[in-house]
Amino acid sequence: MDPKALAYFAAGIGAGLTIIGGAGGIGRLAASAMDGISRQPGSAGDIRGAMIVAAGLIEGATFFALIVTILLALK
Amino acid sequence: MSLLHAMLLSDPAPEAVAQGAAAGHGEDPAEILMHHVLDVPGFLGPLSKHLVFFAVVATLVIVIVRLALRGYKDGLPRTPLANAVEAILVFIRDEIAEKNIGHDGHRFVPLLASFFFFILTAALFGLMPFSATSTGNLSVTFALAFVSFLAQQWAGISKFGVVHHFTGLVPPGLPAWLLPIMIPVEIIGVFSKPFALMVRLFANMIAGHMVITALLMLIPLMAQMSTFLGLAIAPVSIGLALFIMLLEVLVAFIQAYIFTLLSAIFIGMYAHPAH
Repeated sequence: MDPKALAYFAAGIGAGLTIIGGAGGIGRLAASAMDGISRQPGSAGDIRGAMIVAAGLIEGATFFALIVTILLALK
Repeated sequence: MSLLHAMLLSDPAPEAVAQGAAAGHGEDPAEILMHHVLDVPGFLGPLSKHLVFFAVVATLVIVIVRLALRGYKDGLPRTPLANAVEAILVFIRDEIAEKNIGHDGHRFVPLLASFFFFILTAALFGLMPFSATSTGNLSVTFALAFVSFLAQQWAGISKFGVVHHFTGLVPPGLPAWLLPIMIPVEIIGVFSKPFALMVRLFANMIAGHMVITALLMLIPLMAQMSTFLGLAIAPVSIGLALFIMLLEVLVAFIQAYIFTLLSAIFIGMYAHPAH
């Protein structure tokens, strides 16, 4: 097969896997945060702040993978 | 141009390329769209587009904060602008610096506030037509992350001295056979923190623009197949692009907050290595 086609193929699959991981991570995070807020509505502000930080960290790791897939498609 | 091809996943029609080449750049719709995302060298004399907007945003931030400073009378903010700036500054001091760095966190408030205001203004400025997001450039985010890196190391060095700062990176009380593993891990950790800041900001700033570009690029792509398809996809594309634009406003605030917060957390890590 044409190497360029293979690279596009890999980039598409990689982007899909990236979104599965990122969505799963942030979904679990949001679910736990909702759980925590409903149990302790008083500490909703703190939980929300911690959730945003953790979401940022997950997102950072997801973007590393995403950049690798973009490089696959461009090179 | 290779990025353009990757996004279109096919070569543009030859006549469109010939037309674009004959009329100079800016005629091809794809070229106009991509010029909003990518850096344009030689935008203003020797300066590239991102550099120009970097300077514009930096000047704007300085002017706005100086104007807010003039709204103070007897130590209290008297104008709406001064109140708005003070609200953000108090949030950065109390919620970001003091909480994550500790009681000496107020030393880092000027730096953290500069990060916040610059990243926020750059991201919002990049949403305007004919402008560019200067933080959507890896060199700019590298510089921001490098300043953050220096602040993190300085927080540790100024508190403990050079030797104690670097020996304190490895947690005390480890068994000796773990040291060959822990020392490289901690050295990687020192550099991966600012590296993550750099990539996160860059990717977030460019991702929204890329999605908008891809959505708008559907219109010429479909119009090449048939006029009807082009007309049919246009409202859908523009509606989705508008939605992503609104999301971008949210992302601008969240990313400014996250960059500032993570910088504060990392500074706090080096200022208080024991916990």
